[in-house]
Amino acid sequence: MDEARIIAWIDGELDGEAAAEVAAAVAADPALAAQAEAHRRMKARFAAAFDPIVTAPVARPGPPPASVVSLAAVRAARAMEAPKRKSWAIPGAIAASLLVGVLLGHQWSPGGGGIADRDGTLALAPSVSHALDGQLAGEAGAVRVALSFRDHQGDYCRSFAGQHLAGVACRAGSGWQLRTAAPGAPSQGDYRMAGSDAATAAAIAAMIEGDPLDAAQERSARSAGWRLKTN
Amino acid sequence: MDDFEAALSALLPRLRRFAHGLAHNPADADDLTQATLERALKARWQWQAGTSLDAWAYRIMRNLWIDTARSRQRRDQVLAPAELGESVGVAPEAEGKAELHFLMRALDRLPDEQREAVALVMIEGLAYREAADVLDVPIGTLTSRLVRGRQALIEMLEG
Repeated sequence: MDEARIIAWIDGELDGEAAAEVAAAVAADPALAAQAEAHRRMKARFAAAFDPIVTAPVARPGPPPASVVSLAAVRAARAMEAPKRKSWAIPGAIAASLLVGVLLGHQWSPGGGGIADRDGTLALAPSVSHALDGQLAGEAGAVRVALSFRDHQGDYCRSFAGQHLAGVACRAGSGWQLRTAAPGAPSQGDYRMAGSDAATAAAIAAMIEGDPLDAAQERSARSAGWRLKTN
Repeated sequence: MDDFEAALSALLPRLRRFAHGLAHNPADADDLTQATLERALKARWQWQAGTSLDAWAYRIMRNLWIDTARSRQRRDQVLAPAELGESVGVAPEAEGKAELHFLMRALDRLPDEQREAVALVMIEGLAYREAADVLDVPIGTLTSRLVRGRQALIEMLEG
């Protein structure tokens, strides 16, 4: 009696005769009985943890979308909400799920420590812009740049973390445009706040094209003023 | 809402559970659910009436999850410290959630092909035949992945 057959029996995959055969073997052999019991117990444990997801009441999303922005921004925004009760999910508004918009500017208003509105776009505080312009990834500073990469449009983007604001900004024209943001993380002991890291990680994963820049590529991009060499 | 949207909507809670069986953490699971809904709505003309909408939608989700495998791995490499923060920050959220997080982390340690088999059969309760169809593998392949995955989980959880 192999384990696969016992699992199939527990999963209800065996018909009458085969099931009876396994049942008899399990009844006659304490080792098989223990094995069957372990699988049953595990299946029940997963059901207890995962089934509430199906029966959980689903909340409507919060404020209506202000405009459509990237999924990355939505991820970031959602990750920032994570510590609160998760207000996600849709039925009744499934079509609205296509309009997954959250205007970052609504959540991160000027004066919040880093962003000012400029011509309808989000501009960064000088300390952040300077770091993005000149600092290599990993260098120490009040604002630290963690990673440089190119997005799907080919623009240079850099993730950063400062005292009040963390996120990802991409080169747009002669400046940097904030793409995702999370509250900054004043250092607390040995680890940084989870929300901003997880949000930024998710945003980068959605935005990145190819691999992150290595140190040489980063230097070369910096000396070119973060402009693209072609076109 | 038309019939298709109503059916998809009714399926949503189960899709969301399947997403939790696949994804790295609950936030990723909700992203995956969202992306699956978007894809399903865009591709609705590809679904043939009379065939199983469940299997079709599960397949979409599974394929999206596979597609993101590369960026998941890279993120894990590049931003490994987030892991620590994650477990530190999220754990106190709710008692019941802690167990879910714990089991998701156990699933996370399985190879992808074992994980998807376990998620479809042990968590979603699909018949072996249905799960093999969703994954587009022979039933014998499904069974052996399922068994190896469950053996590994028992080892992790009780060993």
